[in-house]
Amino acid sequence: MRKGHAVKRPWRIVATLGMAWALTACVSATVDEMVFNEPTEGIGEASIVILGRRHASDYDTEPDFIECVGKHISSRDKSIQVIGELEFINALYPWFEPRTAPLHPRDIDRLLRQEPVAAKMIELKTEYMIWIDGSTQRTNSSGSVACGIGPGGAGCFGFGTWGDEANYEAVIWDFTDKIEVGRISATAAGQSYMPAIIIPIPIIAPVQGAACDGIGDQLLEFLSSKY
Amino acid sequence: MSDLMISVPSANRAVNALLKLAGCVFALAFLSACGANKVVVEGKFPSPLMTKLPLNIGVWYPDELRNHEFTDMAKTPRESSWIVKSGEAQIQMWDAVLGGMFQGFENMRVAPEPGVLNQVVDAVIIPYVDELQYAIPTQTHVNVYEIWMRYRFELVTQDGEPIAEWMMTAYGKTPTAFLRSNTAAVNLAAVMALRDAGANFITSFSRVPELREWLDGKMPAAQEISP
Repeated sequence: MRKGHAVKRPWRIVATLGMAWALTACVSATVDEMVFNEPTEGIGEASIVILGRRHASDYDTEPDFIECVGKHISSRDKSIQVIGELEFINALYPWFEPRTAPLHPRDIDRLLRQEPVAAKMIELKTEYMIWIDGSTQRTNSSGSVACGIGPGGAGCFGFGTWGDEANYEAVIWDFTDKIEVGRISATAAGQSYMPAIIIPIPIIAPVQGAACDGIGDQLLEFLSSKY
Repeated sequence: MSDLMISVPSANRAVNALLKLAGCVFALAFLSACGANKVVVEGKFPSPLMTKLPLNIGVWYPDELRNHEFTDMAKTPRESSWIVKSGEAQIQMWDAVLGGMFQGFENMRVAPEPGVLNQVVDAVIIPYVDELQYAIPTQTHVNVYEIWMRYRFELVTQDGEPIAEWMMTAYGKTPTAFLRSNTAAVNLAAVMALRDAGANFITSFSRVPELREWLDGKMPAAQEISP
Protein backbone atom coordinates (compact mmCIF):
# COMPACT_ATOMS: atom_id res chain seq x y z
CA MET A 1 0.00 0.00 0.00
CA ARG A 2 2.76 2.40 1.04
CA LYS A 3 4.83 1.35 -1.99
CA GLY A 4 1.99 2.33 -4.29
CA HIS A 5 1.88 5.84 -2.77
CA ALA A 6 5.65 6.24 -3.13
CA VAL A 7 5.39 5.40 -6.82
CA LYS A 8 2.44 7.75 -7.38
CA ARG A 9 4.02 10.75 -5.58
CA PRO A 10 6.82 11.52 -8.12
CA TRP A 11 4.21 11.46 -10.88
CA ARG A 12 2.12 13.94 -8.96
CA ILE A 13 5.13 16.24 -8.50
CA VAL A 14 5.99 15.95 -12.21
CA ALA A 15 2.37 16.62 -13.13
CA THR A 16 2.20 19.68 -10.83
CA LEU A 17 5.48 21.07 -12.19
CA GLY A 18 4.32 20.38 -15.75
CA MET A 19 1.03 22.16 -15.06
CA ALA A 20 2.85 25.17 -13.53
CA TRP A 21 5.19 25.31 -16.54
CA ALA A 22 2.29 25.00 -18.98
CA LEU A 23 0.44 27.86 -17.23
CA THR A 24 3.39 30.25 -17.51
CA ALA A 25 3.59 32.31 -20.66
CA CYS A 26 6.87 33.28 -22.34
CA VAL A 27 8.88 36.37 -21.45
CA SER A 28 11.80 37.86 -23.35
CA ALA A 29 14.28 39.80 -21.23
CA THR A 30 17.40 41.86 -22.00
CA VAL A 31 19.92 43.01 -19.41
CA ASP A 32 22.68 45.55 -20.07
CA GLU A 33 25.48 46.25 -17.64
CA MET A 34 28.04 49.01 -17.36
CA VAL A 35 30.35 48.73 -14.36
CA PHE A 36 33.22 51.09 -13.61
CA ASN A 37 34.72 49.97 -10.32
CA GLU A 38 33.77 46.54 -9.04
CA PRO A 39 34.81 45.42 -5.51
CA THR A 40 37.28 42.55 -6.01
CA GLU A 41 36.46 40.61 -2.84
CA GLY A 42 32.80 41.36 -2.34
CA ILE A 43 31.54 43.94 0.15
CA GLY A 44 32.61 42.16 3.37
CA GLU A 45 30.60 43.14 6.46
CA ALA A 46 29.16 46.29 4.95
CA SER A 47 25.52 46.52 3.95
CA ILE A 48 23.68 47.72 0.87
CA VAL A 49 20.38 49.47 0.45
CA ILE A 50 18.14 49.32 -2.62
CA LEU A 51 15.85 52.31 -3.11
CA GLY A 52 13.20 53.15 -5.70
CA ARG A 53 13.22 56.46 -7.56
CA ARG A 54 9.84 58.17 -7.31
CA HIS A 55 10.29 61.46 -9.10
CA ALA A 56 8.42 60.82 -12.35
CA SER A 57 4.91 62.19 -12.65
CA ASP A 58 3.36 59.32 -14.61
CA TYR A 59 4.80 56.25 -12.87
CA ASP A 60 6.30 55.10 -9.60
CA THR A 61 8.96 52.43 -9.14
CA GLU A 62 6.99 49.65 -7.44
CA PRO A 63 8.00 48.94 -3.80
CA ASP A 64 7.42 45.19 -4.42
CA PHE A 65 9.97 45.26 -7.26
CA ILE A 66 12.58 46.79 -4.92
CA GLU A 67 11.75 44.11 -2.33
CA CYS A 68 12.03 41.40 -5.01
CA VAL A 69 15.55 42.53 -6.05
CA GLY A 70 16.63 42.72 -2.40
CA LYS A 71 15.33 39.20 -1.69
CA HIS A 72 16.98 37.89 -4.88
CA ILE A 73 20.38 39.15 -3.68
CA SER A 74 20.13 38.16 -0.02
CA SER A 75 18.76 34.69 -0.80
CA ARG A 76 21.62 33.85 -3.19
CA ASP A 77 24.45 35.31 -1.11
CA LYS A 78 23.60 35.23 2.59
CA SER A 79 26.72 37.24 3.47
CA ILE A 80 25.28 40.37 1.80
CA GLN A 81 23.14 42.34 4.21
CA VAL A 82 20.37 44.16 2.37
CA ILE A 83 18.62 46.89 4.38
CA GLY A 84 14.89 47.05 3.66
CA GLU A 85 13.77 50.15 1.74
CA LEU A 86 11.08 51.21 4.23
CA GLU A 87 13.36 50.56 7.21
CA PHE A 88 16.05 52.76 5.64
CA ILE A 89 13.82 55.68 4.63
CA ASN A 90 12.08 55.61 8.03
CA ALA A 91 15.42 55.61 9.87
CA LEU A 92 16.59 58.59 7.79
CA TYR A 93 13.28 60.48 7.55
CA PRO A 94 12.88 63.01 5.90
CA TRP A 95 16.11 62.88 3.85
CA PHE A 96 15.12 60.08 1.43
CA GLU A 97 11.57 61.17 0.60
CA PRO A 98 10.86 61.89 -3.12
CA ARG A 99 11.18 65.64 -2.40
CA THR A 100 14.49 65.43 -0.55
CA ALA A 101 16.32 62.31 -1.84
CA PRO A 102 19.81 62.94 -3.27
CA LEU A 103 19.84 62.90 -7.07
CA HIS A 104 23.62 62.81 -7.55
CA PRO A 105 26.40 61.13 -5.54
CA ARG A 106 27.83 64.59 -4.79
CA ASP A 107 24.65 65.38 -2.79
CA ILE A 108 25.74 62.79 -0.20
CA ASP A 109 28.31 65.22 1.24
CA ARG A 110 25.59 67.81 1.85
CA LEU A 111 23.49 65.16 3.58
CA LEU A 112 26.34 63.98 5.80
CA ARG A 113 26.97 67.51 7.05
CA GLN A 114 24.08 66.86 9.44
CA GLU A 115 25.54 65.03 12.40
CA PRO A 116 22.57 62.74 13.21
CA VAL A 117 22.43 61.62 9.54
CA ALA A 118 26.19 60.92 9.41
CA ALA A 119 25.97 58.94 12.69
CA LYS A 120 23.04 56.87 11.40
CA MET A 121 24.88 56.05 8.16
CA ILE A 122 27.90 54.83 10.15
CA GLU A 123 25.57 52.72 12.32
CA LEU A 124 23.94 51.16 9.23
CA LYS A 125 27.37 50.47 7.57
CA THR A 126 25.94 51.31 4.17
CA GLU A 127 28.64 50.76 1.54
CA TYR A 128 26.54 50.79 -1.61
CA MET A 129 23.30 52.58 -2.36
CA ILE A 130 21.44 51.21 -5.37
CA TRP A 131 18.76 53.39 -6.98
CA ILE A 132 16.26 51.64 -9.21
CA ASP A 133 14.11 53.66 -11.59
CA GLY A 134 11.41 52.22 -13.83
CA SER A 135 8.10 50.41 -13.89
CA THR A 136 6.09 47.61 -15.47
CA GLN A 137 3.34 48.88 -17.75
CA ARG A 138 0.44 47.23 -19.58
CA THR A 139 1.07 47.73 -23.30
CA ASN A 140 -2.04 46.18 -24.84
CA SER A 141 -5.13 44.19 -23.92
CA SER A 142 -7.89 42.60 -25.94
CA GLY A 143 -10.68 40.02 -25.75
CA SER A 144 -13.33 39.61 -23.08
CA VAL A 145 -14.44 37.09 -20.49
CA ALA A 146 -18.07 37.00 -19.33
CA CYS A 147 -19.10 35.33 -16.09
CA GLY A 148 -22.58 34.43 -14.94
CA ILE A 149 -24.33 32.97 -11.90
CA GLY A 150 -27.65 31.17 -11.80
CA PRO A 151 -29.56 28.53 -9.81
CA GLY A 152 -27.86 25.81 -11.87
CA GLY A 153 -24.36 27.06 -11.09
CA ALA A 154 -21.79 29.63 -12.15
CA GLY A 155 -19.27 29.84 -14.95
CA CYS A 156 -17.24 32.01 -17.30
CA PHE A 157 -16.70 31.98 -21.04
CA GLY A 158 -14.37 33.94 -23.30
CA PHE A 159 -10.76 34.74 -23.99
CA GLY A 160 -8.58 37.64 -22.87
CA THR A 161 -4.99 38.56 -23.60
CA TRP A 162 -2.72 41.39 -22.46
CA GLY A 163 0.90 42.41 -22.85
CA ASP A 164 3.24 43.82 -20.20
CA GLU A 165 6.57 45.55 -20.59
CA ALA A 166 9.10 46.19 -17.82
CA ASN A 167 11.85 48.81 -18.05
CA TYR A 168 14.20 49.33 -15.11
CA GLU A 169 17.57 50.94 -14.58
CA ALA A 170 19.74 50.44 -11.49
CA VAL A 171 22.45 52.95 -10.61
CA ILE A 172 25.05 51.93 -8.02
CA TRP A 173 26.59 54.59 -5.77
CA ASP A 174 29.67 53.96 -3.68
CA PHE A 175 28.73 55.63 -0.42
CA THR A 176 32.31 55.89 0.89
CA ASP A 177 33.85 57.48 -2.20
CA LYS A 178 30.61 59.29 -3.16
CA ILE A 179 30.80 58.25 -6.80
CA GLU A 180 28.68 56.28 -9.23
CA VAL A 181 30.31 52.89 -9.82
CA GLY A 182 27.88 51.02 -12.02
CA ARG A 183 24.72 51.10 -14.09
CA ILE A 184 22.49 48.16 -15.07
CA SER A 185 19.36 48.23 -17.19
CA ALA A 186 16.83 45.48 -17.75
CA THR A 187 13.88 45.25 -20.09
CA ALA A 188 11.39 42.41 -20.29
CA ALA A 189 8.22 41.90 -22.29
CA GLY A 190 5.62 39.17 -22.37
CA GLN A 191 2.07 38.32 -23.38
CA SER A 192 -0.39 36.79 -20.91
CA TYR A 193 -3.52 34.82 -21.86
CA MET A 194 -6.72 33.88 -20.06
CA PRO A 195 -9.02 31.37 -21.77
CA ALA A 196 -12.23 30.71 -19.85
CA ILE A 197 -14.45 27.68 -20.38
CA ILE A 198 -16.50 27.53 -17.16
CA ILE A 199 -13.31 28.22 -15.16
CA PRO A 200 -10.89 31.01 -16.20
CA ILE A 201 -7.35 29.65 -16.64
CA PRO A 202 -4.80 32.49 -16.36
CA ILE A 203 -1.53 31.87 -18.23
CA ILE A 204 0.56 34.72 -16.83
CA ALA A 205 3.84 35.99 -18.27
CA PRO A 206 6.06 36.85 -15.25
CA VAL A 207 7.41 40.04 -16.83
CA GLN A 208 8.27 41.91 -13.63
CA GLY A 209 9.77 38.73 -12.13
CA ALA A 210 12.05 38.29 -15.17
CA ALA A 211 13.27 41.90 -14.88
CA CYS A 212 13.83 41.37 -11.12
CA ASP A 213 15.90 38.22 -11.75
CA GLY A 214 17.89 40.01 -14.50
CA ILE A 215 18.80 43.01 -12.35
CA GLY A 216 19.32 40.83 -9.25
CA ASP A 217 21.77 38.51 -11.07
CA GLN A 218 23.81 41.43 -12.42
CA LEU A 219 23.91 43.09 -8.99
CA LEU A 220 25.10 39.80 -7.48
CA GLU A 221 27.95 39.68 -10.00
CA PHE A 222 28.89 43.18 -8.90
CA LEU A 223 28.54 42.75 -5.14
CA SER A 224 29.28 39.11 -4.38
CA SER A 225 32.65 37.40 -4.30
CA LYS A 226 30.87 34.09 -5.06
CA TYR A 227 29.55 35.13 -8.47
CA MET B 1 -36.32 3.01 2.70
CA SER B 2 -37.52 5.21 5.54
CA ASP B 3 -34.03 6.70 5.74
CA LEU B 4 -34.27 7.70 2.08
CA MET B 5 -37.71 9.29 2.54
CA ILE B 6 -36.40 11.44 5.35
CA SER B 7 -33.12 12.39 3.69
CA VAL B 8 -34.58 13.72 0.40
CA PRO B 9 -36.57 16.66 1.88
CA SER B 10 -33.64 17.52 4.21
CA ALA B 11 -31.27 17.60 1.20
CA ASN B 12 -33.71 19.89 -0.62
CA ARG B 13 -33.86 22.17 2.42
CA ALA B 14 -30.05 22.30 2.54
CA VAL B 15 -29.86 23.18 -1.17
CA ASN B 16 -32.54 25.87 -0.72
CA ALA B 17 -30.71 27.29 2.28
CA LEU B 18 -27.44 27.36 0.32
CA LEU B 19 -29.13 29.09 -2.62
CA LYS B 20 -30.68 31.68 -0.26
CA LEU B 21 -27.29 32.29 1.34
CA ALA B 22 -25.61 32.67 -2.07
CA GLY B 23 -28.39 35.09 -3.08
CA CYS B 24 -27.88 37.17 0.07
CA VAL B 25 -24.09 37.29 -0.43
CA PHE B 26 -24.57 38.31 -4.07
CA ALA B 27 -27.10 40.99 -3.12
CA LEU B 28 -24.81 42.35 -0.39
CA ALA B 29 -21.85 42.45 -2.78
CA PHE B 30 -24.02 44.23 -5.35
CA LEU B 31 -25.31 46.78 -2.84
CA SER B 32 -21.87 47.43 -1.36
CA ALA B 33 -20.70 48.59 -4.82
CA CYS B 34 -23.27 51.42 -4.61
CA GLY B 35 -21.84 53.02 -1.41
CA ALA B 36 -19.10 55.63 -1.20
CA ASN B 37 -15.47 54.51 -0.91
CA LYS B 38 -14.50 55.38 2.65
CA VAL B 39 -10.82 55.72 3.63
CA VAL B 40 -9.71 56.38 7.20
CA VAL B 41 -6.06 57.23 6.63
CA GLU B 42 -3.78 54.98 8.68
CA GLY B 43 0.00 54.94 8.69
CA LYS B 44 3.15 55.11 10.77
CA PHE B 45 5.05 58.39 10.82
CA PRO B 46 8.69 58.40 11.88
CA SER B 47 10.29 61.14 13.92
CA PRO B 48 12.71 63.26 11.84
CA LEU B 49 16.45 62.58 12.07
CA MET B 50 17.86 66.06 12.60
CA THR B 51 19.54 68.39 15.07
CA LYS B 52 16.66 69.82 17.09
CA LEU B 53 16.12 73.58 16.95
CA PRO B 54 16.63 75.18 20.39
CA LEU B 55 13.05 76.40 20.70
CA ASN B 56 10.09 75.51 22.87
CA ILE B 57 7.18 75.28 20.45
CA GLY B 58 3.53 74.61 21.13
CA VAL B 59 0.98 73.27 18.69
CA TRP B 60 -2.74 73.87 18.61
CA TYR B 61 -4.82 71.62 16.35
CA PRO B 62 -8.07 73.36 15.37
CA ASP B 63 -11.19 71.20 15.07
CA GLU B 64 -11.05 71.46 11.25
CA LEU B 65 -7.73 69.60 11.33
CA ARG B 66 -8.60 67.20 14.16
CA ASN B 67 -11.68 66.03 12.24
CA HIS B 68 -10.35 66.65 8.76
CA GLU B 69 -12.49 64.86 6.19
CA PHE B 70 -12.58 65.15 2.43
CA THR B 71 -15.82 64.26 0.63
CA ASP B 72 -16.36 63.97 -3.10
CA MET B 73 -19.77 62.72 -4.17
CA ALA B 74 -20.17 61.12 -7.60
CA LYS B 75 -21.84 63.34 -10.20
CA THR B 76 -22.53 60.59 -12.73
CA PRO B 77 -23.39 56.88 -12.26
CA ARG B 78 -20.01 55.92 -13.78
CA GLU B 79 -18.07 57.83 -11.11
CA SER B 80 -17.58 56.70 -7.52
CA SER B 81 -18.00 58.73 -4.33
CA TRP B 82 -15.10 59.14 -1.92
CA ILE B 83 -14.80 60.03 1.75
CA VAL B 84 -11.21 60.42 2.97
CA LYS B 85 -10.83 60.95 6.74
CA SER B 86 -7.33 62.16 7.53
CA GLY B 87 -7.76 63.98 10.89
CA GLU B 88 -6.23 61.35 13.16
CA ALA B 89 -3.32 60.67 10.79
CA GLN B 90 -2.65 64.43 10.49
CA ILE B 91 -2.26 64.73 14.26
CA GLN B 92 -0.01 61.63 14.47
CA MET B 93 2.22 63.00 11.72
CA TRP B 94 2.49 66.58 13.04
CA ASP B 95 3.15 65.34 16.59
CA ALA B 96 6.01 63.17 15.26
CA VAL B 97 7.47 65.93 13.04
CA LEU B 98 7.23 68.82 15.51
CA GLY B 99 8.34 66.62 18.43
CA GLY B 100 11.50 65.68 16.54
CA MET B 101 12.17 69.16 15.18
CA PHE B 102 12.18 71.30 18.34
CA GLN B 103 13.93 70.81 21.69
CA GLY B 104 10.69 71.61 23.51
CA PHE B 105 7.29 70.60 22.16
CA GLU B 106 3.89 71.00 23.79
CA ASN B 107 0.33 70.20 22.78
CA MET B 108 -1.48 73.33 23.99
CA ARG B 109 -4.40 72.83 26.37
CA VAL B 110 -6.52 75.58 24.81
CA ALA B 111 -6.35 77.84 21.76
CA PRO B 112 -3.77 80.63 22.28
CA GLU B 113 -5.64 83.78 23.30
CA PRO B 114 -4.95 86.67 25.68
CA GLY B 115 -5.50 85.75 29.31
CA VAL B 116 -5.91 81.96 28.86
CA LEU B 117 -3.98 79.57 31.09
CA ASN B 118 -1.65 77.59 28.81
CA GLN B 119 1.85 76.06 28.81
CA VAL B 120 4.80 78.48 28.53
CA VAL B 121 6.27 78.30 25.01
CA ASP B 122 8.23 80.52 22.57
CA ALA B 123 5.43 80.39 19.97
CA VAL B 124 2.46 78.29 18.89
CA ILE B 125 2.02 76.68 15.46
CA ILE B 126 -1.55 76.26 14.19
CA PRO B 127 -1.85 74.07 11.07
CA TYR B 128 -4.89 74.06 8.74
CA VAL B 129 -5.63 71.91 5.67
CA ASP B 130 -7.07 74.41 3.20
CA GLU B 131 -7.53 72.00 0.30
CA LEU B 132 -7.23 68.32 -0.59
CA GLN B 133 -7.48 66.83 -4.07
CA TYR B 134 -7.19 63.23 -5.23
CA ALA B 135 -6.84 61.42 -8.54
CA ILE B 136 -7.31 57.73 -9.28
CA PRO B 137 -6.33 55.80 -12.45
CA THR B 138 -9.92 55.68 -13.78
CA GLN B 139 -9.93 59.50 -13.89
CA THR B 140 -6.42 60.17 -15.19
CA HIS B 141 -5.64 56.97 -17.17
CA VAL B 142 -2.22 56.98 -15.48
CA ASN B 143 -1.31 54.02 -13.29
CA VAL B 144 -0.87 56.04 -10.11
CA TYR B 145 -3.13 57.17 -7.26
CA GLU B 146 -2.42 60.74 -6.18
CA ILE B 147 -3.25 62.99 -3.21
CA TRP B 148 -2.44 66.68 -3.11
CA MET B 149 -2.89 68.92 -0.07
CA ARG B 150 -2.48 72.60 0.62
CA TYR B 151 -1.69 73.63 4.20
CA ARG B 152 -1.82 76.99 5.88
CA PHE B 153 0.19 77.61 9.02
CA GLU B 154 -0.09 80.34 11.59
CA LEU B 155 2.71 81.03 14.05
CA VAL B 156 1.37 83.04 16.98
CA THR B 157 2.56 84.10 20.42
CA GLN B 158 1.13 82.46 23.50
CA ASP B 159 -1.41 85.30 23.62
CA GLY B 160 -2.50 84.66 20.05
CA GLU B 161 -0.63 87.63 18.49
CA PRO B 162 0.30 86.71 14.88
CA ILE B 163 4.03 86.27 14.10
CA ALA B 164 3.87 84.65 10.66
CA GLU B 165 1.48 83.00 8.25
CA TRP B 166 2.54 80.86 5.32
CA MET B 167 1.26 78.24 2.85
CA MET B 168 2.75 74.89 1.93
CA THR B 169 1.80 72.05 -0.42
CA ALA B 170 2.25 68.30 -0.10
CA TYR B 171 1.94 65.57 -2.68
CA GLY B 172 1.85 61.79 -2.48
CA LYS B 173 1.40 59.08 -5.07
CA THR B 174 1.45 55.32 -5.20
CA PRO B 175 1.44 52.92 -8.16
CA THR B 176 -1.34 50.51 -8.99
CA ALA B 177 -0.62 47.01 -7.71
CA PHE B 178 -2.05 43.55 -8.29
CA LEU B 179 -4.79 42.76 -5.74
CA ARG B 180 -4.56 46.21 -4.08
CA SER B 181 -7.96 47.84 -3.69
CA ASN B 182 -8.70 51.47 -4.60
CA THR B 183 -9.17 52.35 -0.93
CA ALA B 184 -5.83 50.77 0.11
CA ALA B 185 -4.06 52.65 -2.69
CA VAL B 186 -5.67 55.99 -1.76
CA ASN B 187 -4.67 55.38 1.87
CA LEU B 188 -1.06 54.75 0.81
CA ALA B 189 -1.04 57.87 -1.39
CA ALA B 190 -2.40 59.90 1.57
CA VAL B 191 0.34 58.52 3.85
CA MET B 192 2.93 59.49 1.23
CA ALA B 193 1.41 62.98 1.04
CA LEU B 194 1.55 63.33 4.83
CA ARG B 195 5.19 62.24 4.87
CA ASP B 196 5.88 64.76 2.13
CA ALA B 197 4.13 67.45 4.18
CA GLY B 198 6.51 66.72 7.07
CA ALA B 199 9.55 66.76 4.77
CA ASN B 200 8.48 70.03 3.14
CA PHE B 201 7.75 71.65 6.51
CA ILE B 202 11.18 70.73 7.90
CA THR B 203 13.16 71.86 4.85
CA SER B 204 11.18 75.06 4.18
CA PHE B 205 10.70 76.23 7.80
CA SER B 206 13.78 78.42 7.98
CA ARG B 207 13.31 79.76 4.42
CA VAL B 208 9.99 81.54 5.02
CA PRO B 209 11.05 85.24 5.21
CA GLU B 210 8.80 86.12 8.21
CA LEU B 211 9.97 83.04 10.07
CA ARG B 212 13.62 83.70 9.19
CA GLU B 213 13.30 87.13 10.79
CA TRP B 214 11.67 85.69 13.91
CA LEU B 215 14.25 82.88 14.13
CA ASP B 216 17.12 85.40 13.83
CA GLY B 217 15.75 87.17 16.88
CA LYS B 218 15.31 83.96 18.87
CA MET B 219 18.45 82.05 17.84
CA PRO B 220 20.92 84.24 15.87
CA ALA B 221 23.16 81.29 14.90
CA ALA B 222 20.27 79.42 13.24
CA GLN B 223 21.31 77.62 10.06
CA GLU B 224 19.13 76.71 7.12
CA ILE B 225 17.79 73.17 7.28
CA SER B 226 18.47 71.62 3.91
CA PRO B 227 18.60 68.11 2.45
